[in-house]
Amino acid sequence: MSHDHHHAPVASRYDLAPERSDIGLIRPDRFTGWRDWLTTVDHKKIGVLYGAFAMFFFLVGGVEALGIRTQLSRPDNDFITARMYNQLFTMHGTTMIFLGVMPLSAAFFNFLVPLQIGARDVAFPRLNAFSLWTFVFGAFVLNASWLFEFAHLSGWLKSFGWYNALVYTDFAPANGWFSYAPLSGTFGQADAALRAPRFTGVGTDFWIIGIQILGIASLAASFNFICTILNMRAKGMTMMRLPVFTWMTLVTSFLIILAFPAITVALIQLMFDRQFGANFFNPSAGGQPVLWQHLFWIFGHPEVYILVLPAMGIVSEVLPTFSGKSLFGYPIIVFSGAVIGFLGFAVWSHHMFTTGLGPVPTAAFSLLTMAIAVPTGVKIFNWLGTIWGGRVRFTPPMVLSLGFIWMFMCGGFSGIMHSSAPADSQQQDSYFVIAHFHYVLLGGVLLGLMSGLYFWFPKIFGRMPKASVAYWASGLVILGFNLAFGPMHYLGLAGQPRRTHTYHAGFGWETWNYVATIGAFILGIGVFIAFANLVWTAFRGEKCSSDPWDGRTLEWSLPSPVPEYNFARSPVIACRDAFFAHKHGAHRLVYEQDGGEAGVHMPSQSWMPLLASCGFLLAGLGMPMSAMGVPHAGWVVIAGLGVLFLGIWLWALEGPGGYMLKTPVAPAPAPAEAAASR
Amino acid sequence: MSHSAAHAHEAPTSTGIDHKKLIMWLFLASDCMFFGTLISTHLLYRKLYPTGFTDAEGHQQFVQKLFDIELTSFSTFILLMSSFLMALAVSAMHKGGQLKSFRRNVLGVIVFGLIFLGCQVYEFTHFYHQGLTVQNSVFGSTFYVLTGTHGTHVAIGVLWLVLLYFYSFTGKLGGHVGALDVEVAGLYWHFVDIVWIIIFTAVYLVEYLGPDGIWGNGLPPVPGVTR
Repeated sequence: MSHDHHHAPVASRYDLAPERSDIGLIRPDRFTGWRDWLTTVDHKKIGVLYGAFAMFFFLVGGVEALGIRTQLSRPDNDFITARMYNQLFTMHGTTMIFLGVMPLSAAFFNFLVPLQIGARDVAFPRLNAFSLWTFVFGAFVLNASWLFEFAHLSGWLKSFGWYNALVYTDFAPANGWFSYAPLSGTFGQADAALRAPRFTGVGTDFWIIGIQILGIASLAASFNFICTILNMRAKGMTMMRLPVFTWMTLVTSFLIILAFPAITVALIQLMFDRQFGANFFNPSAGGQPVLWQHLFWIFGHPEVYILVLPAMGIVSEVLPTFSGKSLFGYPIIVFSGAVIGFLGFAVWSHHMFTTGLGPVPTAAFSLLTMAIAVPTGVKIFNWLGTIWGGRVRFTPPMVLSLGFIWMFMCGGFSGIMHSSAPADSQQQDSYFVIAHFHYVLLGGVLLGLMSGLYFWFPKIFGRMPKASVAYWASGLVILGFNLAFGPMHYLGLAGQPRRTHTYHAGFGWETWNYVATIGAFILGIGVFIAFANLVWTAFRGEKCSSDPWDGRTLEWSLPSPVPEYNFARSPVIACRDAFFAHKHGAHRLVYEQDGGEAGVHMPSQSWMPLLASCGFLLAGLGMPMSAMGVPHAGWVVIAGLGVLFLGIWLWALEGPGGYMLKTPVAPAPAPAEAAASR
Repeated sequence: MSHSAAHAHEAPTSTGIDHKKLIMWLFLASDCMFFGTLISTHLLYRKLYPTGFTDAEGHQQFVQKLFDIELTSFSTFILLMSSFLMALAVSAMHKGGQLKSFRRNVLGVIVFGLIFLGCQVYEFTHFYHQGLTVQNSVFGSTFYVLTGTHGTHVAIGVLWLVLLYFYSFTGKLGGHVGALDVEVAGLYWHFVDIVWIIIFTAVYLVEYLGPDGIWGNGLPPVPGVTR
């Protein structure tokens, strides 16, 4: 490999001379503005983009939820049609899980992991950009179904010839977020065009290809993060000195790479059923719909831990910081996270107790489900042990993390109730289940992620969110959340079934549904205020110091915002919470003699990841459109695969490039005032 | 400062394993689960419906009669030998970038891979004419999707090696990075080969365990043979 394209170190990438890649194109290293964001390979910028898109989709999913709650606020309501209701709850679940929580977790992975392990970037910076844009386009494909649905509702689609041939009318997905076969699949025999009749409309095809693309994005990101965490740790950063957030990122990434293949295959099989008349889940040809349930939940249950482990990692960073103590039982917390990861693969059938698995599997999955509560409980006790005897500072992130423990425990208790198969068969498909997983995913995960946002926002943007607004938002979120989902425990046990468009008066459900709707709106206002507060802070907030919380991990040793090379010189780690020990303890942080005069090696920016991801956009839009019968849409799929190949090929040929950046010669200054004041 | 120390992608890693090799191992771990799911689907349905499938004329067809085990054994052997050549190609790159030897061996891998794919195309066409389609049975769906997915993996591998072959003429394939790039492609190729050994066993060979195959596929009784 030739290195002649490396110039002398420059003070900034805008000083670089125009530089050609191995395929003769000018490398987009000197861009500013939107072209810089489109071609960036900086993990911090990619993290910010992940976060921005995730927060946007959180609001979209929230509006969908408010549509559902408005419809259910009183009996026999006709605020929205049953058809729209099905689409709303399907897209609400799918959006919140795949476009809200997972990318917001990915935002933290991206921004924090290299900083916490003392690295300058991820192992594969361009692959990281590819993951981001593939996620963005997958999200777009999924939500493009709404555009078709609205075009259909407005009557605009009627002007197209192919529209009349359509007998399927759901343009947005309407099967629920787990898209159970046979509802999502086919029945009867395939016709001459190799298509079997389908129960649901092309919305399901949007869902299939959208989730498939999002899965590719998650897989690529996870390969990258495992590689980064295992391979790019600073000198002395042994595995048992890793910050717990980084540990949980590692466990989550392993869960993703081992769990997503099951859904990938299930989606391929369902796609073959719908597009080519295969019989994987077609009951009239001997296909077993219950196989879909197994494949989905072999993915779906680890997915639950994929959602919650990053939030647990965040809480494990926030609690010690604001208790002024190190994390109680660090090795046990790490070990419990790993055990949750392993056991997470062994409990999937507790979602299927009512399918008639037989007594032995039912008992086994019951026991394993009870067992997985143990490492979770261990973590909770360790968090309580961390706070115990500490000098607790009730900052906004701390309030939200304490909320996490409280709400997550409530969700955990109803989870243990589900592990008992006889009890579960009563609660199955009722509002009790809705209450349970919203306590885990909203009271747990969302509060954890909001805590992380308030905790690291000063590091990301160098600006401090207004605390008074943050307290109000946190209070509204916790209050609204409990008002919305607390009553659902009662409603579920009183018999209100999940996923019904409306209900008659007289079952005793009216009051609590009304309360739940009020709670949902309070919650929505709280989340909106929190996000608005954060966005405002990013642009206009009050500037703050680089270490406003007296942080413990390496990211707080850097200036805010963090310079693009992260560490002017690589740190050498002597203990856990090295930066805290540097400020208050025996171990001083020392730095390697890299960087300095010769500069730091920076990866070049590139258009190719974006180009390759565009292939997924074309293929993803073409596939459901060909299912609609839009002429030539099949060619769009092939063109998309061609663009994908072209992007990857040019990506390989252009060479990694890179340039040397001059950094301040002195090591990053220790916050002398913090050290002196204690 | 020397170049090797100045470049993040060539700096020593915490585990001592190159990034590219580690990420390929991670991808292969993920791909294990991928093929595991496909093979499980096939075996589950095979156990559930041991008697094969019904063709377009409504005749019962038996899997053991459908398979051409000699042809599949041949293509399996060819794929195994391609792995041998791949190992030689990797070795040539590790011995200081012997490009001629690399090209000769990798061309062999490409040709053998194409022979395997040719056999699969022939097999698919043959089975189709025997009456097995993706649409007419669960067996057809699981068989074509499983072996077709494996064939896609082989085709991607062939494409990758073709690109590496031509890239070797640009003079840029060499040194530690060049050897690593070839080795990573080799890891992928060996993995696809190993998966085929499992598919060959679990999908083909077990149909020949005992007179009825492991699933007891209910061939018509033969006079004088006790089953």
